[in-house]
Amino acid sequence: MATAIDVRRRAADTAPTLRRRRKPWKSWLLFLLFAGPNLALLLVFTYKPLLQSFYYSTLQWNIGSAAAMPVGLANYVDWFTDPSTPRVAGVTLVFTVATVGGGMVIGLALALLLNRKLAGRGLARTVVVAPYVLSGVAVGLLWLFVFDPNFGITSALLNAVGIASPDWYNDPGAALWMVIIVYLWKNVGYVALIYLAALQAVSRDLLDAASLDGASAARTFKDIVLPLLGPTTFFLAVTTLLSSLQSFDIIRAMTQGGPLEGTTTMMYQIYQEGFQTGRAGYSSAVATILFAVLLIVTFVQMRYIQKKVHY
Amino acid sequence: MSATKSFTINRRQILQLGALLGGTAALAACGGPSIGAAGGAVQATDRDWSGITPAKEITWWSNHPGASRPVEEEIIRKFREAHGIKVNLVTAGANYDEVAQKFQAAAGTDNVPELVGASDVWWFRYMINGQILPLDQLADHLEFDAADFNTTLYNDYEYNNSHWAVPYARSTPLFYYNKDAFKKAGLPDRAPKTWDEFDEWAPKLADKPGLMPLGLGKGTSWIAWWFCNMLWGRGGAYSEEWTMTLDTPEALAAAEYLQRLVFDDKVAAIAATDYVADFGAGLSATTLASTGSLSGILEAAKFEVGTGFLPEGPRGAACPTGGTGVAIAADKTPEQQLAAGMFLKFLTNSENTAYFSSNTGYMPVRTSARDGDIMADVYRKQPQFRTAVDQLETTRVQDWGRVFVPNGDKELTTALEKIVLQQADPASAFKVASDAITKSFEQNVKSYL
Repeated sequence: MATAIDVRRRAADTAPTLRRRRKPWKSWLLFLLFAGPNLALLLVFTYKPLLQSFYYSTLQWNIGSAAAMPVGLANYVDWFTDPSTPRVAGVTLVFTVATVGGGMVIGLALALLLNRKLAGRGLARTVVVAPYVLSGVAVGLLWLFVFDPNFGITSALLNAVGIASPDWYNDPGAALWMVIIVYLWKNVGYVALIYLAALQAVSRDLLDAASLDGASAARTFKDIVLPLLGPTTFFLAVTTLLSSLQSFDIIRAMTQGGPLEGTTTMMYQIYQEGFQTGRAGYSSAVATILFAVLLIVTFVQMRYIQKKVHY
Repeated sequence: MSATKSFTINRRQILQLGALLGGTAALAACGGPSIGAAGGAVQATDRDWSGITPAKEITWWSNHPGASRPVEEEIIRKFREAHGIKVNLVTAGANYDEVAQKFQAAAGTDNVPELVGASDVWWFRYMINGQILPLDQLADHLEFDAADFNTTLYNDYEYNNSHWAVPYARSTPLFYYNKDAFKKAGLPDRAPKTWDEFDEWAPKLADKPGLMPLGLGKGTSWIAWWFCNMLWGRGGAYSEEWTMTLDTPEALAAAEYLQRLVFDDKVAAIAATDYVADFGAGLSATTLASTGSLSGILEAAKFEVGTGFLPEGPRGAACPTGGTGVAIAADKTPEQQLAAGMFLKFLTNSENTAYFSSNTGYMPVRTSARDGDIMADVYRKQPQFRTAVDQLETTRVQDWGRVFVPNGDKELTTALEKIVLQQADPASAFKVASDAITKSFEQNVKSYL
């Protein structure tokens, strides 16, 4: 530890000089010692596959085959001109907007509720957060029963009030809403948990002052609580969007992308094309397009939304 | 923390980033396929197998079809006793697709097994990828007695005058009916012989509220499989070798017939999740299900279950086959391949075929096993099983457009689901599928043949 402090002090002493001094080998060694293992893991398990995927996207390659043909950007052209692409893009958009938007609104509402001094609050908090730690596949399989039009509880409830159950498994539109509902049920606890932590950090003084000034509950929420939750909202917007666009387990367990590709998101398409159809090059091209979409969306969030956040 | 911290990058950092990316790109180019090299199937070469000593240990990737793990373990135990060769049985997935996905992802690594499950929709891809061995020479050397295999089941794995796998856990669709429901409707105790006859019977079954005369399943590897019966029975086909033939009047008539059952006559419905469970629960009076589901249905149903041949169309009987065979990996030493061949012979000999079949409900793939004592005992206890075996005579090899083109089954599934769930125009739904399959053939298959 002493060495680390020495190194830093020495570096600080020489900092004002214009010419950069070469760092002593010891400091490089220390850097390598601390950052090396992580860097190596990142290189091998993140950057290498990422670049490999870019490269594969320029090949016509059947997974399993020892040989491939370079085809340039043909896989990209194929995706953008494929008749199923508008549907896949549409499904991805609806799924993402509904799960991110719905998740934030419901999560915040739950957090507000759980932040009150209610009887059984501890239990309620556990119940809300519990689904988040469950495995997505298990959740999907369980909800298959809940939505079953013949034996499921949803059809029993709907029938009890005289409404016919939607054909969750045979109607592509209903199937998409089904997986959205299950995704929300599973993941909303995470949003609620983070919001709850942020709500508890909101200073009592501010709320008391607002109350003394005669602000209504709605006004206090809109002008004090919500702005103070800004950084949390921003953080959640970025993280939930990324995980929503990459979600796979619930769709795999419940609908396998069907019926009629009604629940085939871009993420699911990557799996289908890569491992079921076996078109590794095409699948890599879709993965690259999804990567670009994620990059652009995150960049836009960082660049424009972050500006509006008050810290 | 500043909200808008500016992010600048200097020349040195750009160079460092470039070096990092360059290094990683070089790493990325390692592994993966070789570019422009001639791919395609392994060529049969003359090898003198008699001079080779079999390896002492091999590995088999299986999904234990029909919950057959104990059966497979027992066969492996007997094989080790007889030949002294150890076989490592690996659960490589829950179904054929998962085994295939792992086998393809493992290509080019040290982890490829000597033996792998090769289902009817996957073996061809293994072959054009050069992952499996043509078996004829090895089978000749080991005296497999290939003539004893059921001809359709064995020839399902034939391409370019070579066989690429041997049949193992094979099945066909079967017509299941609820005997109680038939009795109540005043129908004879047998499956309808033709679809015309089904049309006559269905309204009588539909009289009972809450009972659907015919329950059908959807999804990949399924809907396009049983539809072969309606399609072939009307003289249509998915494809003629590599040419899609879904625009023929016969193919369109088959799709229109299916639509009539579902939308006009309302005597058939696509099950929400599990058509087998729906039939077992008495929600549908009849269903088309695999022979592999026989034991499960007999166990689950609270009524007497009858089985029959799939109904005939105007052009006669038509029944596809399915299930899995077992193949030998190409990327192994001759010693390992010889040991794998010896196990394959043992696994599919008459005695073990009957043992496997009687314990799982899959077809006996050998004629001698079909007619032997063990199976005779099974037919006595479960007469329904006999139907499946007899129906084998009417089976035919699958259309290439569905099973040999990578996205064939998936595209046909989408087309048939459009037809049967959304009442889409068969001609346009089939056209979309045919175009996609033809394109996939050009891109993913043709250059490898």
